[in-house]
Amino acid sequence: MIDPFAQFQRETHTINGVKTVILTAGRGEPLVFLHGAGIWHGLGFALPWAEKFRVIVPFHPGFAESGDDPAMTEMHDYVMHYVELFDALGLDKVRLVGFSLGGLLAAKFAVAHGHRVSRLVLVGPAGLHDKAHPGPDLFKVPPDQITRMLVTNFDVIKPYLPETPDLDFMGARYREGTTLARLLWEHPWDKKLPRYLHRLTMPTLLVWGEDDRLIPVQMAETWRRLIPKTEVAIFKGAGHLVLDEKREAVDAVQRFLS
Amino acid sequence: MNGTVRFNFMHFMPYVPLPENQKEFSSLWVDFPNKFYDPERGHQLYQRYLSELVLADRLGFDAVNVNEHHNTAYSMMAAPNLIAAAVIPQIRRAKICVWGTPPNLEYPNRLAEEYAMLDVLSQGRLEVAFPLGTGMEYWANPVNPATARERLRESIDIILQAWTQDGPTSYYGDFYTYRYLNPWPRPYQKPHPPCYIVGTGSPETVELAAKLGFGYSATFVTKKRARELNEIIRRRAAEHGHHIRPEQLPLGVIAYVAETKEKAEQEAIEHIRYFFEDALRTTPRFLAPPGYLSVDQLKARAAMADKMHGKFDLDELSDARFIAIGTADQVVEQLEQWSEEMGTNHFNVLGAIGNMPHWKVVKNLNLFAQDVMPRMRARASHDSRAAAE
Repeated sequence: MIDPFAQFQRETHTINGVKTVILTAGRGEPLVFLHGAGIWHGLGFALPWAEKFRVIVPFHPGFAESGDDPAMTEMHDYVMHYVELFDALGLDKVRLVGFSLGGLLAAKFAVAHGHRVSRLVLVGPAGLHDKAHPGPDLFKVPPDQITRMLVTNFDVIKPYLPETPDLDFMGARYREGTTLARLLWEHPWDKKLPRYLHRLTMPTLLVWGEDDRLIPVQMAETWRRLIPKTEVAIFKGAGHLVLDEKREAVDAVQRFLS
Repeated sequence: MNGTVRFNFMHFMPYVPLPENQKEFSSLWVDFPNKFYDPERGHQLYQRYLSELVLADRLGFDAVNVNEHHNTAYSMMAAPNLIAAAVIPQIRRAKICVWGTPPNLEYPNRLAEEYAMLDVLSQGRLEVAFPLGTGMEYWANPVNPATARERLRESIDIILQAWTQDGPTSYYGDFYTYRYLNPWPRPYQKPHPPCYIVGTGSPETVELAAKLGFGYSATFVTKKRARELNEIIRRRAAEHGHHIRPEQLPLGVIAYVAETKEKAEQEAIEHIRYFFEDALRTTPRFLAPPGYLSVDQLKARAAMADKMHGKFDLDELSDARFIAIGTADQVVEQLEQWSEEMGTNHFNVLGAIGNMPHWKVVKNLNLFAQDVMPRMRARASHDSRAAAE
C-alpha cells in the first residue's frame, strides 16, 4: 500500500474539543476540499490544484487522522465544526469543493453560510433522493462490493487497498462506518435540503462520473433543477471517484475555480 | 454448590423446514427470504414447541426460557412475550424467563407494561433479561446501531424507574421523553422481577450488568472467555457495591442425554451441526452493523470469526464450548465440573437443539429430568448440609 497523502503537510487543531487534522499543499487563495465517507484512496487528484491554490483538506471528525466525537450525531454538527475550523484558520471566504458525503456537507454549509463561499463545486454529492433514480443505500452494500462500485477502472484505487484481509484497515473502515451511521443510519437522505438549495446563489459547478454506480448520474439533473445557476460537467468513463479517475475532471474544477 | 441448583429449559423455536438449497444463502438471518416461511408448518411447529415448554414444566425444570430474534429461521419468536403469555396458563410451577426482548426494539414504557402483565398473569414467576440484541436485529429494526448502547442504558433506566417509583413520574432523556410515566399494571414481584443482562461478552455490556447489579449470562463465547467474564462481572459488581450470587450467572449449555455416549452423539450430532452451520449462519456485516461494536471488539471478533459462526467440528466445538453429550453420569459430571469452574448453580439447558425432532427433545428432556436433575439437586443439597455441619 502506498502513502495516500504524499506531498501534503499536516497541521493539527483542536476544534471544540475534537482533534482535527488538516492536510495542506500549495500557496495562494484557500481552496477547501471536503472529502467523502472514506479518504483511504488518497488525495493525489488534488495536487494539480495546489499549483494555483492553497489546498486545505480537513479530515472530518471520525475519519482518518481526526479524532472521534460520538456527540456529533447530525450533519448540522459537521456544518458547525467547519464554521469553527474556518474561524480558527482565519478563513473568511473559501472556494469550497465537496465530494460525495463532503458534497452534501459543502451544500449544507453553503446554504447556511453562503457569504463564506466564493465558488462551490459539488462532486457526486450525496444527500438527495429521487425515486426515479434510486441509487443503492450505502449501508446495504457489502464492503467488498463498495470498492468495486467506486470506479470504472479498479486499478486506480487498487494500490490503496490491502492485498490480503487486513484487520487494521477493516477496523479503520468500521470506525468510519460508525461515524457515518451516527449521521445517516435513520435517514440516509436529507429530506429538508431541497427546500433550501435555492440559497446557493454563488457560482456553482456540479461534477459527475457518467458511470457512477453509487449515486446515479441522473441525480445531477435533480441538483441542477434545485440550484438557481449551476454548470454541470459529466465525465465519460468515470465512476463515483471521478476526480481520481479523470484528470479532465480535476482540470475542469481548476478552471471553474480560477 | 450451595444447596440449590437450577435448571431452565431454553427453546429457540426454530423454523426448520428450509428449502433444499438453503446452503446457497450466506445468511439465514436478516435477508433470508420470508417466502420460505410456510404458516401451516409454522402453526404445527408452534403447537409442538409450546408442548415441549409445557413438558419441561411437568418434568420438573425450574424455568422455561424464551427470547427474541427477527428476520430469521433461527427463531419463530419475534415477540417472545406472546409465547410467554401462551404458556403461562399451561405452566403450573416453573418460572417463565423472557431473556428477552431487546429494550431498544420497543418503547421502554411498553416493555415495562408487557413484563408487568406477564408477572401479574403468572403470579410473580417472571424473570427478564435486557439484551442489546444481536447485530442482526439492527438490520431488521429501525434503530441506529451506532447509538444502541446509550439507548439501552436509557431504556433500562426508564423501565426500572417505571417499576420502582410510584407514578406518575417524568423522564427526560436523550432518546425518550415521558411526561407521565405511570404504567398499569405494576409488577407482581417487589421491587420487580429478577433481571439479567445477556450478551456475547462486550465489555460495555458486562460493565452495564455490573453497575446495575443484574445477573449476567454470555452466549456464544468460549469456555475460557465465559470464565473470564464471570470473574469480571463478580469483581466489577462488587466495586459497584453489588454481591453477585451464583444463581445470577446462568450458564448456557447444550445438553443431550442418551443410554450410551455413542448413542447420545449419534442422535445429537446432526442437530448440533445444523445449529452451528445453518441456524447461526450469517455474514460478518450482519453480525456487526456500523457502530454496534467498538473498533477493538470488531477486530477481536473478526480475528476469530471463523470459529464463531459456521465451521463445524464437534470435538473442537466441545473443547471450546459448553456442550454436554453422553450418559446421565457423564452429563452430571460435566455440569458439576463447569458449575465449580464458573461459580454458578444455574443452568440454562439448550435441550431442543437446532432441527431436533420432537421425539428426541422428549427423550432428552425426560432423561435429563429423571437422571441428571435429581442427582445434581441431591448432591448440592447434601454438600450444603455437609458444609453447614
